[in-house]
Amino acid sequence: MNISKQKWVRAVFAAVIAAMVAGGMASTLCSADPTPGGSPAPTNSVPVQTNAVAATPVAARMQVTGAELYSINCNRCHPERYPTERTGAQWKTIMLHMQVRANIPVSQARLILQYLQDNSGR
Amino acid sequence: MKTNRKMFGLMATLCAVGLALPPRAAAQVSEADFNALKATVQALSDQVHSLQQTNVLEQQTHEQDVEQLQQLREKLAETQQIATNTEQKIVEAAQTQPIPREPIDEATVNHNFMMMGDAEFQYDKVAGQHGTFYQADFAPIFLYRSGDNILFEAGFDTTLQNNAPNSPGYTTTFNMSFAQMDYVMNDYMTLAVGDLLLPLGTYSQRGAGWLNQVPDDPLAVDALIPGSGVGAELEGAVPVGNDGAFANYAVYGVNGPSSADGFGNVSSLDLGGNVGSRSDGVTANLHSDPSGGARLGVFLPLPFKPRYDLELGISGQSGEWDDAGTHLWSAGVLDAALHLGPDFEAKGEYIMTRFGSDDVGQVTQQGWYAQASYKLAGLNLNLPVINNLELVGRYDSVIDGLGTVTERYTAGYIYFITNTLLFEGDYESVHSVGPAALPPNQVILQLSLGF
Repeated sequence: MNISKQKWVRAVFAAVIAAMVAGGMASTLCSADPTPGGSPAPTNSVPVQTNAVAATPVAARMQVTGAELYSINCNRCHPERYPTERTGAQWKTIMLHMQVRANIPVSQARLILQYLQDNSGR
Repeated sequence: MKTNRKMFGLMATLCAVGLALPPRAAAQVSEADFNALKATVQALSDQVHSLQQTNVLEQQTHEQDVEQLQQLREKLAETQQIATNTEQKIVEAAQTQPIPREPIDEATVNHNFMMMGDAEFQYDKVAGQHGTFYQADFAPIFLYRSGDNILFEAGFDTTLQNNAPNSPGYTTTFNMSFAQMDYVMNDYMTLAVGDLLLPLGTYSQRGAGWLNQVPDDPLAVDALIPGSGVGAELEGAVPVGNDGAFANYAVYGVNGPSSADGFGNVSSLDLGGNVGSRSDGVTANLHSDPSGGARLGVFLPLPFKPRYDLELGISGQSGEWDDAGTHLWSAGVLDAALHLGPDFEAKGEYIMTRFGSDDVGQVTQQGWYAQASYKLAGLNLNLPVINNLELVGRYDSVIDGLGTVTERYTAGYIYFITNTLLFEGDYESVHSVGPAALPPNQVILQLSLGF
């Protein structure tokens, strides 16, 4: 690849990345709706409504809930998995795995597990 | 009674009639009068007989009624007894403590054992090579939970590869990518032992095939640092405040990088081959001392909006690598990940390694990647295809310290068919110079399933 083409490719790429970052930040920071836009809807499972987080900033409230911890932690690395996908006992096994893999506090993992088990429906 | 009165009345009437009749006189009674009297007596006799029969029937009916009344009384008594018994049972049941029923899941080991993982299938077109379908990976992860605090987890990678030229067929490679036992000792300390996914940065631990938005790994992660090592690790996390923030740590010791041929030349460096059991059957580390490493990290929910958060980490590992123990291999990694809501993510790592060698001396390698992605669902357009699309861009580079410098620009997408079935594609523009230069570009299409 010659030098001018390299520069062209780098310039185009940098412009694309900058546009994506600016667009992403603009649409999230400037959004009037405090409720997040939500993840893409799946077609093979029934989504549990997890995006209904209160508009009040988290820091202003006394204690973060299992549902909030789930929404904070459980789609950082992979697409959201819904509580109805597994039984309560399966969630127990999976949460041990995730607790180690993401190295999150045991107390927070317990709250997330309780939320998953309460909403698994089985 | 009525009948008896009737009979009595009749008899009395007859007596009265008899007394009233004058005594037989000398005078004669006519035959007509006699016959009339005879007929009257006969009729009266018939009536008496009929009244007697009616009396018998009424007596029988009365007796039946009495018997039926007795039966009803008995049934009533029985029903009252049943009601009383039921009431007593209800009272006793309310007073008895219910026995907690264990969910059936907990009663069997089957639900403590799970298989998860992912599988990837690709179409690759590398510049200068024929395009190809490629069974990229089948990577099952087996989990077994023993009680509440012990987990055994193991992951494998299964890939296909053509045999050597002139050797028909293909080879299936089944590699164990990690196998570790995790024991949660308390709320702040977990012991993990085995073939560990190393906490050098976060990509090795969280970058399974279907998890990262780009189908291939960052150059520096694959080239510069080991993804796993046999050893032991202590890790834990401490909550900070009440908003979900925490700090975490990991400290570990592993056999560490080694020499593939026992010598200390650059080409001998083997990042992942020192597993404690040599090919000649000897159980030994290939060099005298293990390597040690650690990672410190913080996770901070940001106060602006829900799901705004920042994760930062610093990690490193160091230890000798050659059999003679004369050269150290060291690595340092800075990692960061930023989320602005559920739709935008930016993350990256900077990696530097340094090691000594017999032939080249000190070698310094470095590389980094920065990746940003945005889910178009965040635009709230509510269009069917757009809502399920995520755009991703990545820049990564690696300087191998031996003359090869590679930069790569990647632009791609992920289409969420479901939350676990992803159709990904990317175009990679590569600028690579040096003895180990990579092809100039490639296109990868991937279908990946997480389970």
